[in-house]
Amino acid sequence: MTEDQPRDDHEAQPDGGHTHRSLTEGATTTSTLREFFTRDHLPPMESVQRWLLTTNHKDVGILYLVTSLFFLVFGGVLALLMRIELLTPVNSVLSATGYNQTVSIHGLIMIFWFLSPFAFGFANYVVPLQIGAKDLAFPRLNALSYWLYLFSGVLLGISFFQGGSFEGGWTMYAPLNVPSYMPNIGSTTTVLALLLFVISVTMSSVNFLTTLHRMRAKGLTLLRMPLFTWSILLTVWMMLFAFAALLAALLILSSDRILGTTYFTAEGTPGSLLWTHLFWFFGHPEVYIVFFPALGAMAETFQTFTGRRLVGRKWFILAMLLVALQSFLVWMHHMFLTSINLEIKTLFMATTIGISLPFDLMVFSLIYTMVKGRIRFTTPFLFTFGGLLVFIIGGITGVFLGAVVLDYQLRGTYWVVAHFHYVMVAGVTALIGALFYWYPKITGRMYNRRLGKATFGLFFVGFNLLYFPMFIAWETPRRVFDYPAGLTPWHQLATIGGFMLGVAFLLVIWNCYWSLWHGEKVEGNPWEYATTAEWAVPSPPPLENFPGVPSYDSGSLDFLDETPEASTDGGTAVAGDQTHESGDHHDSHASPWPFFIGVAALVFFLGLSGISTGGIYPALTIVGVVFGAVSLLGFGMESFSVTEPELGERWPFEGIENGKLGVWIFLASDVVLFGAFIGSYVFLRVGYGWTDWQLVPHDPIPGLINTYILLTSSFCIVLALVAAEKNSRWGLIAGLSTTLLLGVGFLVNKGIEWVELFHEGIWLSSNVQASTFFLTTGLHALHVILGLLILLFLIPRAINGAYLDDERPVEYFGLYWHFVDIVWLFLFPLFYII
Amino acid sequence: MSVTYGLTTRVATVNSHHIELLLQANGRTMNDVFSMLFGVFLILGTAVGIVVISYMVYNAYKYRETPDSEVAERERPQLGELPQGSGGGKKLAISLTISAVIVIALIAWAYIVLVDVEAGAPESEDPLEVQVEGIQFSWQYEYPNGHTTNTLRVPEDRPVTLILTSGDVFHTFGIPAYDLKADAIPGQTTETWFRPNETGTYEAQCFELCGSGHSAMESDVIVMEQEEFDQWYAETGSETNATTNNTTDGSATNNSTANDSTATTTENRLLDGPAPERQLAATTRQ
Repeated sequence: MTEDQPRDDHEAQPDGGHTHRSLTEGATTTSTLREFFTRDHLPPMESVQRWLLTTNHKDVGILYLVTSLFFLVFGGVLALLMRIELLTPVNSVLSATGYNQTVSIHGLIMIFWFLSPFAFGFANYVVPLQIGAKDLAFPRLNALSYWLYLFSGVLLGISFFQGGSFEGGWTMYAPLNVPSYMPNIGSTTTVLALLLFVISVTMSSVNFLTTLHRMRAKGLTLLRMPLFTWSILLTVWMMLFAFAALLAALLILSSDRILGTTYFTAEGTPGSLLWTHLFWFFGHPEVYIVFFPALGAMAETFQTFTGRRLVGRKWFILAMLLVALQSFLVWMHHMFLTSINLEIKTLFMATTIGISLPFDLMVFSLIYTMVKGRIRFTTPFLFTFGGLLVFIIGGITGVFLGAVVLDYQLRGTYWVVAHFHYVMVAGVTALIGALFYWYPKITGRMYNRRLGKATFGLFFVGFNLLYFPMFIAWETPRRVFDYPAGLTPWHQLATIGGFMLGVAFLLVIWNCYWSLWHGEKVEGNPWEYATTAEWAVPSPPPLENFPGVPSYDSGSLDFLDETPEASTDGGTAVAGDQTHESGDHHDSHASPWPFFIGVAALVFFLGLSGISTGGIYPALTIVGVVFGAVSLLGFGMESFSVTEPELGERWPFEGIENGKLGVWIFLASDVVLFGAFIGSYVFLRVGYGWTDWQLVPHDPIPGLINTYILLTSSFCIVLALVAAEKNSRWGLIAGLSTTLLLGVGFLVNKGIEWVELFHEGIWLSSNVQASTFFLTTGLHALHVILGLLILLFLIPRAINGAYLDDERPVEYFGLYWHFVDIVWLFLFPLFYII
Repeated sequence: MSVTYGLTTRVATVNSHHIELLLQANGRTMNDVFSMLFGVFLILGTAVGIVVISYMVYNAYKYRETPDSEVAERERPQLGELPQGSGGGKKLAISLTISAVIVIALIAWAYIVLVDVEAGAPESEDPLEVQVEGIQFSWQYEYPNGHTTNTLRVPEDRPVTLILTSGDVFHTFGIPAYDLKADAIPGQTTETWFRPNETGTYEAQCFELCGSGHSAMESDVIVMEQEEFDQWYAETGSETNATTNNTTDGSATNNSTANDSTATTTENRLLDGPAPERQLAATTRQ
């Protein structure tokens, strides 16, 4: 990444003596590291260290973009392998399991490791700039999200070397996904890689939601937000809830694969239907999660390059909002061929058609925006225009699938393949447009214009040559390598198109690379009629983005002098100032811990994948746990300062601070997680026969005692908070310690109960009743253990006098602890009494 | 009936017969219904696509920047302005209404058709009931007399009800030539039916990724004349004959199990030949 303008962090580079190239050496002691990294300034962009340490949203955005493009190439190579195999209607190149792995991992990579993170590269880079924030609310958490994303992808890659990767399709239908049908360790690794990815997404969602709701510039009310930011806001809300359902599905699947629970193989109960419900409850919102950012990018580029404000802007926003809400009510349209009854089919047909109409509105809104415009066919506009065009075809062919009778026949065929590629890759096309649109902002240089336009031509022809023949050859069954010989010419055309599209993608990447050095230099804003705030600052923007406090109070963007409350530094700047003097800012921008936690997570999950097979795996798991614990401790102990802006729009969360909102949002996703677990239990129990179901614990008394223990502990944490507010150090310590003891008591009581059950021969894998009991209450126990670990972190600090001036950490912990107790109030009757 | 492929064939098969079906109140079967709906959707979808995309491309061309574009013709967006829209809500509302009417009308019509065919095989015609079990990687068919085979043999012009389940993982059973498809789910049963209307050998296939042998999870579907079928079916009553029959039909394996029940006359009752256009139907229901 080149730098055209001197940036403050370049000049202030006092630590030239450090020659550490890599920070992966676990041998370096914590204290040395802490000393090494306690500084305000980041290493320069040319340094590898910079990219391992940075917590700045722009750097993290670049990391996301580069990494996701790598996964695009990975997934693309798999796609081309499939296309080569499909040149002939018989099996030729890949083995049967090889083909199934190619199909499965292509889907997983493109949806999870390419498309969403690519969009979130832009979200990271652009959203804080558009809303007038210096960074995200929790910069270190953002870096952690990135590293977990990267290492989850590395884990996915490793799965190929463990006897073969996952081969059951990206939808991972049960019970094919359990070890009796798919025994490879690599399959378990794939599931765990996805699990790690979901953890990253959840943290990212919490971070973006807090940022978007709490850190907007003054005057930038929700309704006034730029459309790209709007699309990201709704995307992250959907992500928060949808991915929690996927998290539940993946936790249960991991448990079925590693611990031997029998959720998805449950005999006589609809275990495989349970998977389809859990998966599609996530899976359908996911479609909008990957498409919305592209839609936002389309809206931005259409406005800029037509020189017209969006037609029906409010309706556009309302349409997106409706889609986001309704996306959670359409999942069963993926299950029309299962045994669900006509009434449910009717309901879901109606919601499905309902959700297509807002998209009509959005498409018309974009088209009408061009009318009376001054349209400039730049590369970014060509790509978003082309993206909209193919999206229209994808949308029309989707209506076919909404008609149940047609869906009966079209399901499982290339009609579906062609339709969703027209939709998903329309999103990719628009995001490539976004890449060219923001490229000058990110790098300070213009891409090669002529090559960009030529690439679009190749891309568009390749796209349609690849996917349109699939509509014609729709009678090909999905995911097979031998198909009716009469369809061969269409598949051969598609293969040619596939290679053209592949070359076009490489040219896009080449253009970005070449232009880093050879592109013409760009000042702040190269685009006439661009309106959003990222174009009002230099390209690339300085470390803390703005030459003052951004505000829209006057009706348009101003940079105000920094008020004393906003920041302690006196450095002020006026609008248009090119070099922002960061002076003695107190905000931190570097931390090594996110990277280390990411490495620890990789080692831990890799160990877990084969833990039941012995060998090196148990050792890896232990190393992962230890290294993870040290890294988390380091993360917790590090002093990392972030200033919250004093001015700004925060509706509807004016009354609480960022940290508290973050905890609330996290708990909201945890509600969905437990909801999915409890829902799974109820689903299996109803399938089994509610009253025939044998409760696992013989005696509700230990459970009842635990209920009282938890309620008492909730009361104690309230007392601790009151003590902290009253500046009573010993009261605080007493409150926290009693909570800790009660929590330990809860676990001991539960342990005794479980040990007794084990002695009777009842274990996780005994039957479906035992599986649901141990796993659901086990997940709760894990939450308790996590709480106790936090307490073990809080208590020594409380003894040293912490939290008396600032009791917020105790308050946040209290929120979490109360939540864990409330969950128990649901679990106790469900698993012990009813 | 030869197995035909391709979109063009599908459109070409929309003919006056389907127009009659549109007006017919009942008696429609799945195969008809699919061809008819698919044809109409294709024609309308193509028309809508062409109109919308042409309008879009036309406007992009018409309002392209040219050297003589009037820059100050109207107010253009300014850097740093609070995001706002331009009017046009009315135009948008009209467009949305038109598209909503088209989509909702189409779907409502498709729904009426769905309810019509969802009722299952007409009991009055005494459908032949066959249990289908998907097992990695083959299909097993069990007849009412207990005969089990890997090749589905059915009589011509008599409704066949298939009751599907799976012995292991999630499969989807489909006979493309008859537009028939239903999931085969472990621990669950699904039901579908069709009316084979022309003798010949067709192919049944798995449509849900089910493991390494998924691509090859196929089986023959042989539609026989009624008398031929009756004869074959009567012979399946005894074990030896069952084996002979299965080896002659050319299916790869023969998993016939010993069975003690024999064909009853009711199962083999001849039916009146139904109207030729009433070909077949498929449905899944609880």
